[in-house]
Amino acid sequence: MLFSDSLTLAIRAISSQRLRSFLTLLGIAVGIAAVILLTSIGEGIHRYVLVEFTQFGTNVVGIHPGRTKTGGTVGLPSSARPLTLEDVEAMKRLPNVVAVTPSVFGNAEVNGNGRVRRVSVYGVGTGLLVVFRAKVRSGQFLPEEEAAAARAQVVLGPKLKNELFGAENALGAKVRIGGLQFRVIGVMEAKGQFLGIDLDDTAYVPAARAMELFNREGLNEISISIAEGVPAAGVVANIKDVMKARHGREDVTIISQEEMLATLGGILDVLTMAVGALGGISLLVGGVGIVTIMTIAVTERTNEIGLLVALGARRQTILGIFLGEAVALAAIGGLVGLILGMGLAQLIGFFVPALPVHTPLSFVLLAEALASVIGLAAGVLPARRAARLDPVEALRTE
Amino acid sequence: MRKADVLRFARDAATAYPLRTSLSVLAMAIGVAAVVVLTALGDGARRYVVDQFSALGSNLVIVLPGRSATGGFSPANALTTTPHDLTIDDAFALTRLPLVRRVAPLTVGNSEINANGRLREVVVAGTTSTYTDIRNFKMAAGSFLPEGDWNRGAPVVVIGSKIKEEIFGGNPAVGELVRLGDRRLRVVGVLKSTGQGLGMNTDELVFVPAGVAQSLFNTHTLFRILIEARGRDEIEAVKREVTTALKARHGGEEDVTVITQDAVLATFDKLLRALTAAVAGIAAISLAVAGILVMNVMLVAVTQRTAEIGLLKALGARGATIRDAFMAEAAMLSLVGAFTGYGLGLFGAFVLRQMYPVFPAYPPDWAVIAALLTSLSTGLVFGIMPARRAARLDPVQALMKH
Repeated sequence: MLFSDSLTLAIRAISSQRLRSFLTLLGIAVGIAAVILLTSIGEGIHRYVLVEFTQFGTNVVGIHPGRTKTGGTVGLPSSARPLTLEDVEAMKRLPNVVAVTPSVFGNAEVNGNGRVRRVSVYGVGTGLLVVFRAKVRSGQFLPEEEAAAARAQVVLGPKLKNELFGAENALGAKVRIGGLQFRVIGVMEAKGQFLGIDLDDTAYVPAARAMELFNREGLNEISISIAEGVPAAGVVANIKDVMKARHGREDVTIISQEEMLATLGGILDVLTMAVGALGGISLLVGGVGIVTIMTIAVTERTNEIGLLVALGARRQTILGIFLGEAVALAAIGGLVGLILGMGLAQLIGFFVPALPVHTPLSFVLLAEALASVIGLAAGVLPARRAARLDPVEALRTE
Repeated sequence: MRKADVLRFARDAATAYPLRTSLSVLAMAIGVAAVVVLTALGDGARRYVVDQFSALGSNLVIVLPGRSATGGFSPANALTTTPHDLTIDDAFALTRLPLVRRVAPLTVGNSEINANGRLREVVVAGTTSTYTDIRNFKMAAGSFLPEGDWNRGAPVVVIGSKIKEEIFGGNPAVGELVRLGDRRLRVVGVLKSTGQGLGMNTDELVFVPAGVAQSLFNTHTLFRILIEARGRDEIEAVKREVTTALKARHGGEEDVTVITQDAVLATFDKLLRALTAAVAGIAAISLAVAGILVMNVMLVAVTQRTAEIGLLKALGARGATIRDAFMAEAAMLSLVGAFTGYGLGLFGAFVLRQMYPVFPAYPPDWAVIAALLTSLSTGLVFGIMPARRAARLDPVQALMKH
């Protein structure tokens, strides 16, 4: 039998039992739609998180005091040697390092213009603008100056500026942070939220002043921006060597953003797959549906099969016809499910903008392939049954 | 037709095609089993978290340094410092509040423990003797930190069971000297293993007096203050008292966040309940797919048994009787499927519990009832169309098919 004949036969068989075929492919369609919808949400969240993290640039390396093998509890105080402003200077001299900024953070009250607001205060350096891709809206950022002798100047986040000064000009005004006086020299461009932390409700002061304010010996972190196109691993090795030489032993944790993103991406991929697998349960049930309906079809068409065999059709051909029918059912169901799932995903994206959705082409192709494979697997049992029929017996059933 | 006859009719119809019937039952069973296992997993996670939180102690009020302008807990001050340190003296001052039963300061940091020729990274918790009463610790050997001046503290250390295992192996650890960072401390106790815990696993912690930890990390600020209220009803009052007392001590500046354990627990509980419901909902989609299958199979059955229906009608059976017979068959299919699935689900949950004994993976009652009802009602809803089709058949036409 020609391939095109098999195809015509399968299509005719499907369309002759319209309601039954429709219900069978509906089962697969619901399953595929569930898988596509859930993985779209998973992938959307994945992308959203990656964008959140890369808004600060992708080639950032962070140095934290204390050595932790897993990189888990970063930020806790440690008995290791503290990171100092001299370490920052040493980092600036390394090749392929574009910018370096120390960071000391804490929580303090900012007094200015007769108003008070409690915000996060960051002790940083000039390099922050480059490392975290921040922009100044008015005035200027903290100038480059001798770290230890840095003047008491502050750059306000836009939200803090609005809360304290409203529409008034803040430049040149004096504010009191904790127990120290600072002069406002700039206001930052709005940056939005990052993992629930409002980046605009902040004040940036020189690192040395922040250490004085919070009575700290060491920095929380040193952030380094490395040149575009240079592999992070080489620079990380350099940093490790220098820190080892300066501190006498390896007592810092160095995390490149590249590594962190890879880990994070891995976790999110697993989550997306797990959610997809949950949707896959429906697909499994849909597969059982195909097995059932195909089994019924074989019983009903026993004498048709007998006739075909009597006319000289080989068992291979019979097997092919029924397998083809099962695959066609599943594939059409898959297509309907794809349209349904993607439509629902778009609808969710439209009505709930807070929930990011994204359907990558690879998922679409994978889901369609999965539907076909399920059709194939579900068709095997009934198709073999059809192929094994004895032609004489089969013809007699009429 | 009598009720018993309707049931017998339906049963015989179902058992006449064993393969088809068992496949429909299987589809329904997969759906119900998925709901049961997944909700068992979700609810198990919820119970686990709730248990872990309760193990932290009861009637707890927790003080964190730093506060966000918008109020409430903000991730920005999960780990922070403030110009006014949250000090051990602050914690001690809170012990004088009338509604407070116990107070324990907590400083946490990373360090290295060195003893018996072995070196290991550890998380060090600096606290006082009261901490063990709040957390209900059990000792495997020796005793917890001794009572004494909170600011000074004796050069002693209590180690977690895993640390003890890795450094001392089978030998007794109590009385031995260990080096922690640049200090030499004497081991006075070993904690009993509590297994996997939430966040801070005590098996891999070492406890030193708060004063020792502060000089070890060269810091004056605390990570947390844990406060136990005198009773459940006093929690809110304690929260207010603590906020006022610390504000007065910090020069009128309110620079701490005070949270109650109940609030944190309620948030987790709500979150995990929502998650369980969402997972159950996703699994329930498969019940709808199984319902579609039942409908399909019933439609086929109606077509195949047209002649039989015609005969029944010719003998005087009313449309309602025919409809009931087919509805009974649909209900039977989904009911058997539902109970098979319930059995499978319970078995799955049992296997989960065997694999992870700490995880109380029992399906919640609401989920079991919802799954059984959903599967029965999908079976019935999807049975309506085929049953009506059967009931409407014209007896003459139907008999002619024979």
